[in-house]
Amino acid sequence: MIIVTRPEHDLTTKYISLWAEEIINLARKKGIKVVDLKRDKANKLELSGRIKKLSPRALFINGHGNESCVTGHDNEVLIQDGDNQDLLKGKIIYAVSCKSGDVLGRSASELKGTVYIGYKDDFVFVTDQEHNFRPLLDPKARPFMDASNQVMISLLKGNKAKEASRKSIKKFHDNCQSLLTSNADVDSLTAAQFLWWNARNQVCLGNVDETI
Amino acid sequence: MKNKELKTNNETINIAEEEKKLVISRLSILSPSTVISIGSEGNFTVSELIDSVERGDRAGEKIVEIQLEWLRSFKEMATV
Repeated sequence: MIIVTRPEHDLTTKYISLWAEEIINLARKKGIKVVDLKRDKANKLELSGRIKKLSPRALFINGHGNESCVTGHDNEVLIQDGDNQDLLKGKIIYAVSCKSGDVLGRSASELKGTVYIGYKDDFVFVTDQEHNFRPLLDPKARPFMDASNQVMISLLKGNKAKEASRKSIKKFHDNCQSLLTSNADVDSLTAAQFLWWNARNQVCLGNVDETI
Repeated sequence: MKNKELKTNNETINIAEEEKKLVISRLSILSPSTVISIGSEGNFTVSELIDSVERGDRAGEKIVEIQLEWLRSFKEMATV
């Protein structure tokens, strides 16, 4: 079983939430139970309760955050280092959440049987205003979301956490390379820089040999 | 930034201004429909981001940092 948090209160969370549907669909296709905490259900009380009651194998956290926390709908803090990080014990976590791979990730990775994949700096991506109402069709966002989703896709295929992270980082680099050589549009170089930045900041901490 | 710390105050100011100019010139050629999401800092149109770089706020500083780190990575590759 996996729990997914999907706040949708601004453009960034709307994009990562909608792109996370691909992962939910894939997991269900593979017969893995998914608890989808979407919009206002992505709150601390709901998440804590579900983790305690259901003991999921993995958490796929989408949202904002900082070095020491990840947040849900309307930026409510879900997991905070020094408060309730023990909820992550024994789990595989992928957090598309800025900077949480730094303090929270390191702290969680010290818990027994826990692996934390996240970003130690801001997760940056490009969108096109003309597609902001249809994020799944946004060609500028696709290279970022595809590379990010690769973590969960690889985990769902049974790969170890370290391999899932390696494949995602490779995808960021491959997409970066494609943009640099394509001259597709005037944004290519800038988008390539942001893909490189995300690859550089993705971390996989803790028991990296864990699988779902 | 390390290379700045080695400079005198006047030189540091000049480098910061040169960095800003470089980043703004890169941003100014982007498509006007482009929106950049910078984590918790928010979403920015190209013109908003140029303003941020000029003001030197957190979003602006982040964009400058990314561009400079990108350039440094090439320098590192060239010296390996």
